[in-house]
Amino acid sequence: MTAQTESPQTATAVDRDELAHELEQLSELATLVLSARDALSDDIVSRIAQALSEGITLLDRLTRNEGLMRLLQVLDTPESQHLLHGLSTALAKMSRDISISPPAKGGLAGVVKLAMEPGTQEGLRSLSLLGKYWSDSMRELHRTGGK
Amino acid sequence: MRILVVGGGCGGTILANNLARRLANEIRNRKVRITMLSASDKHMYQPGLLYVAFGQMMPDELYRDQLSLLEPCIEFHVDPVEAFHLDQNKVTTNSGKTHEYDVLVIATGSRIVPEEVPGLVEGSETFYSEAAAVKMFKRLREFEGGKVAIVVGVPHKCPIAPVEVTFSLHDYFKTRGIRDKVHIKYHYPIGRIHTIENVAKWAKPEFDRIGVEYETLFNVREVDVENQVVKSEEGTETEYDLLISIPPHRGMSVIERDKMGDGGWIPTDRYKLTMEGHDNVYVLGDTTNLPVSKTGSAAHFEAEVVAENIASIIKIGTPVRDYDGKVYCFIEAGHDRATYAMFNYENPPDLKAPNKSMHWFKMSYNKMYWTSVRGLL
Amino acid sequence: MSEFKTIDARNTFCPGPLMELITYMKQAQVGDTLELLSTDNGTASDVPEWIDKVGHEMISSEKVGDVWHLKVRKLK
Repeated sequence: MTAQTESPQTATAVDRDELAHELEQLSELATLVLSARDALSDDIVSRIAQALSEGITLLDRLTRNEGLMRLLQVLDTPESQHLLHGLSTALAKMSRDISISPPAKGGLAGVVKLAMEPGTQEGLRSLSLLGKYWSDSMRELHRTGGK
Repeated sequence: MRILVVGGGCGGTILANNLARRLANEIRNRKVRITMLSASDKHMYQPGLLYVAFGQMMPDELYRDQLSLLEPCIEFHVDPVEAFHLDQNKVTTNSGKTHEYDVLVIATGSRIVPEEVPGLVEGSETFYSEAAAVKMFKRLREFEGGKVAIVVGVPHKCPIAPVEVTFSLHDYFKTRGIRDKVHIKYHYPIGRIHTIENVAKWAKPEFDRIGVEYETLFNVREVDVENQVVKSEEGTETEYDLLISIPPHRGMSVIERDKMGDGGWIPTDRYKLTMEGHDNVYVLGDTTNLPVSKTGSAAHFEAEVVAENIASIIKIGTPVRDYDGKVYCFIEAGHDRATYAMFNYENPPDLKAPNKSMHWFKMSYNKMYWTSVRGLL
Repeated sequence: MSEFKTIDARNTFCPGPLMELITYMKQAQVGDTLELLSTDNGTASDVPEWIDKVGHEMISSEKVGDVWHLKVRKLK
């Protein structure tokens, strides 16, 4: 219970100290604001305003774009993110494999050899399924006009 | 419902974009179509011309492609109207096309007519077009001292411009270190130095302080280019070495040709903003004969009211708002301070002391304008 | 045939009643009469001062309720 034992004079002195400290902080803040004000120029203000203005316009376009909003919703699922990640990894591996393998010689024998690999068969199956579902979506797009 | 907007300036563009946002569903369901006809594929930020005249902005900063400012669902044609057939709800255009409408919005703006004052074209510099503003700046650069006179035609766009150009001239010559060699004299058509009483009360002591002479009740009658003398309707004269003019304005000639309004200004209901005698025709901005300032700001606030009303008529069958005469004007008090005036039919403008923050707000607005015409701010 | 035109400049601050009158005066023909309506008390002295200085004719000036009615004729 220290407060009860403190004399009124001590309390006032503490208040005064606190006030002085707060004033000092305020003055520091004011100096900062004034310094920022002095550092600015018409040109800087114009450029900031332009960036903000274009930013607001961009944000408006993006948020009112229904297609983009639907795309973002789809991308928001872990499944889509995983697939995109997988696609990107596959593309990177593919480009590396192509760069180190000798140029294809051509001819039916090469095609047959490639078609016998399980990976190729899996890939063809994926592509044919992708074609099936994608064509459904394309029919839907032109039926509804994209709504 | 076919909405036809004639004019792609500040008012027309804000209106069309605002409507397109409000009627997005109706447009998608093909119940509403918005078409805009304009004389140009470029949109100019006209207040920037004053900065061009003092070398503070380059002309290319004033323009954007009109199409880039419009909502994609607005059909846009660069094809100015040649004739209005209001009784048949249609217009014919320069290319010979006919556009029928259910609702027409006329926002064709105004044009300068310095040729109405003998000698004004040859004898004075102005900043009401890109070419004129660049020419004025080059002239100011070459000016080494002498008598500068500022004269004001009636009516004119941007009522604050005469005061702004005067403060800017003072600051410009001061920065160049030749202010003591330049005598500036300001002339104004009515009995005080600005039509807004509070602006006049503020600017008068400021003019006294910075050494600008002024003459009121001076309506420019002619310029004697050879002797470098400008004469007033009231019978006075001023000699000059450099004459800066705010030229008189008129509405577009098609309005006068089709006898829709004297001087090219269309008689307009001051609250509903419909053309007198035509409930499906709205008029915006400079084109009206309303006793409000011819400024982008008035056009902006009018456009918001008209857009809201057209949309509500389509949605619930009745307009919902009246225009209250609101105008907001920035006032640049030189090159580093500014203030503003806001007023409407009921409340006169109250002026605050100019400061740097307001100047920066204006600088910012010069860039934010493009967001504003897109119907966002 | 001279015309009569009424200019409604009630409750306006910019460009204001006298500036409106000057605009309409420029569009009018010599001999036309213009009636200016204004709620600004300054108009009652501003308009006659200008009309006198520029050389047109002041026909009448009266206040009806809150509104000044000033009639002028274009002489030149």
